[in-house]
Amino acid sequence: MSKDIESQMRAALRPVAPSEEFSQRLAASVASARPPALRGRRSGARLHPLAWWFSASLAASLLLAVGVHQHLQQQRLQQSGLEARREVMQALKVTSQKLNLAYEAVKSQSSSLTDEGNSV
Amino acid sequence: MRKCTSILFFVLWAPALALAAPNPKLAIPSFSALAQKATESVTITLDPGLLGLAAKFLDSSDPQDAATKDVLKGLQGIYVRSYTFDKDSVYQQSDIEAVRSQLAAPGWNRLVETRSRKTHADVDIYIMLDHNQAIGLALIASEPRQFTIVNIVGAIDLDKLHKLEGQFGVPKLDLDPSKAAQAPQK
Repeated sequence: MSKDIESQMRAALRPVAPSEEFSQRLAASVASARPPALRGRRSGARLHPLAWWFSASLAASLLLAVGVHQHLQQQRLQQSGLEARREVMQALKVTSQKLNLAYEAVKSQSSSLTDEGNSV
Repeated sequence: MRKCTSILFFVLWAPALALAAPNPKLAIPSFSALAQKATESVTITLDPGLLGLAAKFLDSSDPQDAATKDVLKGLQGIYVRSYTFDKDSVYQQSDIEAVRSQLAAPGWNRLVETRSRKTHADVDIYIMLDHNQAIGLALIASEPRQFTIVNIVGAIDLDKLHKLEGQFGVPKLDLDPSKAAQAPQK
């Protein structure tokens, strides 16, 4: 008894391919139900040639400005570095000149003491 | 509680300890009035940042640059003031006194003192030591038409300074910090 009911139900609920007309109707309803924002974005994806050129030149100018700024900064850093190097050299030169002055004074004092010792 | 007490103790005593630590950096006056009278003046102020920058522009393959780079390691500052005049007695000893008085502070030791009657050139070299390591050097040279003040701050390796010998005309001065440590403090 139960087997009969089961086979009857299987026969009634068997998969059936949709008609051609149904597929066309479904595709049409899907196309008409697309969100307006999406449709709008898609239609505006193409920029006006003038706007495109404007954006491209703006981006190029920005890149150029960044490049020039970096180059100038690098140049300034190099100038400061070379100036600091020159100052270090000059500082050491001045220091060495004065150390030399002290050395000469110490040397002349010690030689005069030796001369006095020899004469005695 | 005990931890809090020790932190509080440290916070309260840290400024006092910092003040008590010897400071090898001298407060050098601007000497602006003398600079106007001078025929030649050298004013060099190199702080740690500029010393680091200068070291980057020294060529390690060049012997003089390499030796200089080696000397700069550990230094925190180089300050030079030098004025040359076209006649005698333009500056007074009192002009230098403001610097000389700072060298009477604890920590500074006079390493060399020379007085020449012939050339009237006086040179004083002071060194500041911390655990037998030179952390500061001061040099005051006064001649009839010139005076120079040099202050080098930082870990000065005198052996490395000796390596500059012959390159900047640095003579062998026998700058032995242990001798300065033995000398009585001013």
